[in-house]
Amino acid sequence: MNETMAPPPLNENVLSRLRSIFGEDRLLTNSTDMMTYSYDASFETQLRPKNPQAAVIALSTEEVSECVKLANEFKIPVYPRGAATGQTGGAVPVKGGIMLDLSKMNRILEIDHRNMQAVIEPGVIQNDLNEALKPYGLRFPPDPGSANMCTVGGMVSNNSSGLRAVKYGVTRHYVLGMEVVLPTGDIIVTGGAKSKALKSVSGYDLAHLMIGSEGTLGIVTRLRLKLLPLPVTRGIVLCSFERLEEAGEAVNAVFSSGLQPSAIEIMDFNCTKAVNMMKPELSLPLNNEAILVFEVDGAREEVTSQVNRLKAVVEKFTNYIKFSDEPEECEKLWQARKLVGAAVGLLKPGGFRVYGGEDICVPISKLPETLREIHNIADRYGIICGIYGHVGDGNMHTGPVVNMNNQLEMENVQKMIDDIHELAIRMEGTTTAEHGVGIVRAKYMDVEHGAAMEVMRAIKKTLDPNNILNPGKMALPN
Amino acid sequence: MKLLTAEESMKTCVRCGACRNVCPTLNITGREADGPRGRVLMARSLIEGNIPVNQEIKEQLDRCLLCSACVDACPIDVQVPDIVMLAKERIAAETETAAKTDIKKPAYPERTFKDYFFDHVLANQKRLNTVGNLLWFYQKSGLQTVTRGLGILKFFPEQMRQMERITPAILPPSRRKHHPEFTPSAYEEKEPRGRAAFFHGCIMDVMFRETNDNSIKLLSKTGFDVVTPNAQVCCGALHHHSGKKDKAIELAKANIQAFEEENVDYIITNAGGCGSALAEYADLFRDDLHWLERAKAFSAKIRDISEIIYEKGEMPAAAGRGERVTYQPSCHLQYVMKVKDAPAKLVKQISNSEYVDLPEKKYCCGSAGIYNLLQPKLANEILDKKMSRVKETESAVLITANPGCFLQMKLGVYREGMEDQIETKHVADYLMESIERAESAGKQ
Repeated sequence: MNETMAPPPLNENVLSRLRSIFGEDRLLTNSTDMMTYSYDASFETQLRPKNPQAAVIALSTEEVSECVKLANEFKIPVYPRGAATGQTGGAVPVKGGIMLDLSKMNRILEIDHRNMQAVIEPGVIQNDLNEALKPYGLRFPPDPGSANMCTVGGMVSNNSSGLRAVKYGVTRHYVLGMEVVLPTGDIIVTGGAKSKALKSVSGYDLAHLMIGSEGTLGIVTRLRLKLLPLPVTRGIVLCSFERLEEAGEAVNAVFSSGLQPSAIEIMDFNCTKAVNMMKPELSLPLNNEAILVFEVDGAREEVTSQVNRLKAVVEKFTNYIKFSDEPEECEKLWQARKLVGAAVGLLKPGGFRVYGGEDICVPISKLPETLREIHNIADRYGIICGIYGHVGDGNMHTGPVVNMNNQLEMENVQKMIDDIHELAIRMEGTTTAEHGVGIVRAKYMDVEHGAAMEVMRAIKKTLDPNNILNPGKMALPN
Repeated sequence: MKLLTAEESMKTCVRCGACRNVCPTLNITGREADGPRGRVLMARSLIEGNIPVNQEIKEQLDRCLLCSACVDACPIDVQVPDIVMLAKERIAAETETAAKTDIKKPAYPERTFKDYFFDHVLANQKRLNTVGNLLWFYQKSGLQTVTRGLGILKFFPEQMRQMERITPAILPPSRRKHHPEFTPSAYEEKEPRGRAAFFHGCIMDVMFRETNDNSIKLLSKTGFDVVTPNAQVCCGALHHHSGKKDKAIELAKANIQAFEEENVDYIITNAGGCGSALAEYADLFRDDLHWLERAKAFSAKIRDISEIIYEKGEMPAAAGRGERVTYQPSCHLQYVMKVKDAPAKLVKQISNSEYVDLPEKKYCCGSAGIYNLLQPKLANEILDKKMSRVKETESAVLITANPGCFLQMKLGVYREGMEDQIETKHVADYLMESIERAESAGKQ
């Protein structure tokens, strides 16, 4: 494990003011605490941890505002953080400063079921929110793979989504308004200070400027979310394809038949192999290039008829098909896809699964070509990898597996990651579909956005003239 | 057997955070160092020599309850408690050998007492029984009343005073003789559901003798032939967890031998802590192929009493008194033995009683051995939060499945001043009582 030099502590004046805001217990400065605030789930921070100078645990908007005001006065960087489950180093303190932990601001303030909305604090865990909504027959649909541990505040800051985005869209589509602490410490409410409307075109859409800004423009302290009814039931069709192109054609055929699956997931041959290693009883077919898992949802009868229609559409492309509309059987079929993220590590004994180049998105039509090209890149560097992802919107997760002690492999995997991102842009796609930019993808921003990057920098400068809020991220000014 | 050793396992953590939302201490403080990810990093840094042994790291790692909820939540089973334990062993070893660190050495008499207690009392059922006799004498002779009356206890730390209050009533020596070696299934007319050996535990058999008696009766009532080998010894969990691996191995061998001779289908425990230690015996014999195979065969038979009754047994009629009941799981039972809801499912089969789910039952109650004494502030915060959830259920009976949890819940009830409203019970006692109630109603 590489260690970076720990930054010096903050001066006593700043510390005593922080102590007066947060109290003795919620201001942390000792070296082991700083160490534990040096990472998120990114590979980058495993290699190069980044310690803050102090960490505070906030419980209210006022505390957040006071803290930011203080930081702005002394020009000290502030890094807002939810559960730090991100893959991009988005929440780590690259320039020392204050780590602002928002995970304890986790109250569900209101479930307004008649108006199909909820008001929550940013530290609420996605799954906890959905558990609380269940009795009302409601849900907050965005579903990242990290739903068990990520905070909704983090989801909003990264505009995250998951495998059901193909039908239900991304976090952005479910934020009606928010309370934000600006880099000056001022507090605003977007989407109408007192509004409970489900639609509004009044004024600039500031909420949507904040969503996906990764904590560089403001700190979300309260959220008003739009909710949907729970789907009654789900059905699954799992099928396997000899060639990638056939999988691509099957997806096209499903869309043009008028069906709207709630998820379409792909796993390549390496992923299939890895899942079989982890759960041999699933015995997925091995000699094929890809597996697709379709999910449909809705009322019971609808689901049964959708499963049958889907089956009829894909049948001519596949040599292996399994399906069900029974909850227990569906759970079993879904298992293959659920396990894959953890399973790819098994592809190489003693291997470590790297999250890098893990979130590219290309047009659906270019998917087979992109998948082949990723494997070509991997072969060029002699690295084994599994590819899976949300084929319904062209979003692919690449999982290279390396030996952390092998210096050459470590260098090669970085080159491979760069090549994958370049490939995504060449294929008229994007470097990141749902995980975000943070520090790991900052270097691709200018190529991806061209002149638009300057507008982003100008917005940042206007709202945060002292560059104190999450500096050093997203290729914004340093 | 675990796939990886602690040292291998700590290197596989990718810090995804899947463990965050199940950790009881992180839930209280929100501080990353109080969560599994932080602990793995701190422990690993210490083990790899990147940070020094000092009071700060010791205090950070001591805050872990070792409840294993994080291992259960981890997609790749990073063995957080083992990793934390390994780091603590390194701290202890360094403290022993080097005076240059700033950790205070444990006082000599304290160490000697601990060594004596672990090696010669826990590992020796006869001596443990003598301790039980002394405790029984303390409770029955009037000495307890005298000490309480004189206020002598106020000279002890608050935690000790509380523990003195909740110590269960010890059965007299006359009722703590050997268990019957064979108790046949009560299903006289039917084939038994299997041949089960009962593991009675060490402290469990002295402090909770009645629960053990009830467990044997319950197994018989639900259709099992029960044998209780006299040659069995303490499971060795406490020895293993305090770095006395040699003693743990010695005890494990004695148990494996004792139970092999009985030729049973299952080996039953009624304490999640013991059960999980027995189920993990193979980890003690990684380098001893002969014993490894025997350990694996032994561990494969370990079942919790609720689990086996729910899966293989047949519950006879059982009746409550119209009370509401809730269940606080044992962490070792739900996270290591993976028995999530068998106790609740059995309780639901009792007529005239209403089972309600305990909110946030995923969190450890804070018992965790001597955690109360080491971390009084955090332990109390965990317990207070747990009790506020218990109160929400408005239950009159609080079920547990492990002696440590039982004592902690009893302490919680006592601290809330609710001893006359909430009764704490081991699931075996509650089930047996309910069966007997139904039986006597049937006779009338």
